[in-house]
Amino acid sequence: MGYFELIIACIFVNNILLAQFLGNCPFLGTSKKMETAVGMGMAVIFVLVLAGTITWVIYTFILVKFGLVYLRTIAFIVVIASLVQFVEMFLKKSIPALYAGLGIFLPLITTNCAVMGVCVLNIDKEFTFLQALVASFFYAVGFALALILFAGLRERILLARVPKPLQDTSIALITAGMISLAFFAFQGMV
Amino acid sequence: MNDMVKMVVVLTVLSSVAGGVLAAVNKGTASQIEAQQLTFVKGPAIMSILEGSTNNPIEDRFKIADGDAETSFFVGVFDGKATTIAFEEFGKGFGGDIGVMVGVNVNEDKLVGVAVTVHTETPGLGANAKDKPDLVSQFKGLSVKESVSVTKDGGQINAISGATITSRAVCVAVDKALKSYQKIKPQLQQEIQQFGK
Amino acid sequence: MPKTLVQEFTKGLWEELPPFRLVLGLCPVLGVTTSMENGLGMGIATTFVLFGSNFLVSLLRSIIPQKVRIACFIIIIASFVTIVELLMQAYTYPLYLKLGVFIPLIVVNCIVLGRAEAFAYKNKVLYSMADGLGIGIGYTLALGALGAVRELLGNGSVTVWGDLSYNLSSAFPSFQPFSFMVQAPGAFICLGLMLCFINAIGD
Repeated sequence: MGYFELIIACIFVNNILLAQFLGNCPFLGTSKKMETAVGMGMAVIFVLVLAGTITWVIYTFILVKFGLVYLRTIAFIVVIASLVQFVEMFLKKSIPALYAGLGIFLPLITTNCAVMGVCVLNIDKEFTFLQALVASFFYAVGFALALILFAGLRERILLARVPKPLQDTSIALITAGMISLAFFAFQGMV
Repeated sequence: MNDMVKMVVVLTVLSSVAGGVLAAVNKGTASQIEAQQLTFVKGPAIMSILEGSTNNPIEDRFKIADGDAETSFFVGVFDGKATTIAFEEFGKGFGGDIGVMVGVNVNEDKLVGVAVTVHTETPGLGANAKDKPDLVSQFKGLSVKESVSVTKDGGQINAISGATITSRAVCVAVDKALKSYQKIKPQLQQEIQQFGK
Repeated sequence: MPKTLVQEFTKGLWEELPPFRLVLGLCPVLGVTTSMENGLGMGIATTFVLFGSNFLVSLLRSIIPQKVRIACFIIIIASFVTIVELLMQAYTYPLYLKLGVFIPLIVVNCIVLGRAEAFAYKNKVLYSMADGLGIGIGYTLALGALGAVRELLGNGSVTVWGDLSYNLSSAFPSFQPFSFMVQAPGAFICLGLMLCFINAIGD
């Protein structure tokens, strides 16, 4: 598979939120306002690129080498959790402007299964280092894209009159289904 | 200071206990997992090649190391005699490695069958190597001394139309398998005797 | 008023039924419910982890220091997830292949971490076990129900463990499978409508 196909597949065809269902908690949680959606999207791109490549290196050069593949889950989650902590501390000290924007979203990322999911997918699909790097970045871009599109729609829903049982999460899920349907058209392209 | 020590101790003890328990569980389930993977991933291919054998080829297996790589050989018993072995080789296809299970009759030095185990080829084109018998059925009955290739390369195998690279990869895998079979044949004949009564 | 053991157990089945009442742990709910069997399998795996981690966190709650509690929870949860992964590979390999990436992802399921933090770290062992089991069973039933609805509408039939099956066309001969339901968009819409239904009867 060439890199162009890989990019299209990551953003559209296998969109991490709408086709693979990973990272739905922040998808519903941070999409009520455009501002938070953009912040979350950027934070995920930032962390996912780091996490995707670091876990790939750890898996290939430590876990496989010493026959500890069964420790994958525990190793990845520890790496992601400490990475998030580290990034948070680093941003706070060195780039306060960026921290002001992304800071509050960082702790949420530890339990964002999109991050863990992409790290595991990179391994399952047997990507090379470069492919893992590209895939991590563009999966995250796909995440941000879907999140921002969805936030735009949700801001509109706030103005509409929705029947009581359908309010909030329920109508949000149905709307997500509609976007997913739009992305579904990409199926089979790659 | 006391807190700090406690934190470090708790985390260390917890991690090492977790590591120990997981290592134990991993060890306890390893052979069962291997058997399951063989049954569900390679099982269908092995069964299609060794069809009609009276034993369970997935249980009757042995390993031979060649350099770094270790290959599993599955034994088929026919009419009470262990005559046939199946093993896997790989060839580079259009979308990645293609796994090919190759069955050889040790007494007659003939190919009894070939089946694709894993592939990432295009559905409808290269994937037909696994889904349709057109390609793999052509290998049956060939002698192990022949070198196998597609007609385009001057060989005897008709490629699947629209999937030359895939067909070529399958041929390469079979060819590799036959070459390594000839190399280790004496060893195989010895190992195979423990099966079949 | 403190709740009894039974109440701690039953609250997971209705009052705090995940993912409908507690909107947490949605990813597997959407991802694996293409059939009832997958849904139930995922639910049982999650229940095992939830029960185990609640038990252990509660047991160790006086030893685990406040500051590093999240790290400790994560190690405990990840260990149970790995045990489930290995056991499933060893005994239910086809199911393991179908659930794929969602098994290691139990580790980031907000329900599990959420229960450890909000309940098990503050309550006695027996209560935490009841809580974990109740929430887990509620989650399993919800996943199974969603899986059943999607499989029934999408395939026209429901099959569990190979031999228990129900075919919709026996009751409605003119029924055509609506394969949209087992595809990605159907997951969102089906869950949204079920949530609406639960909200409506809950009020």
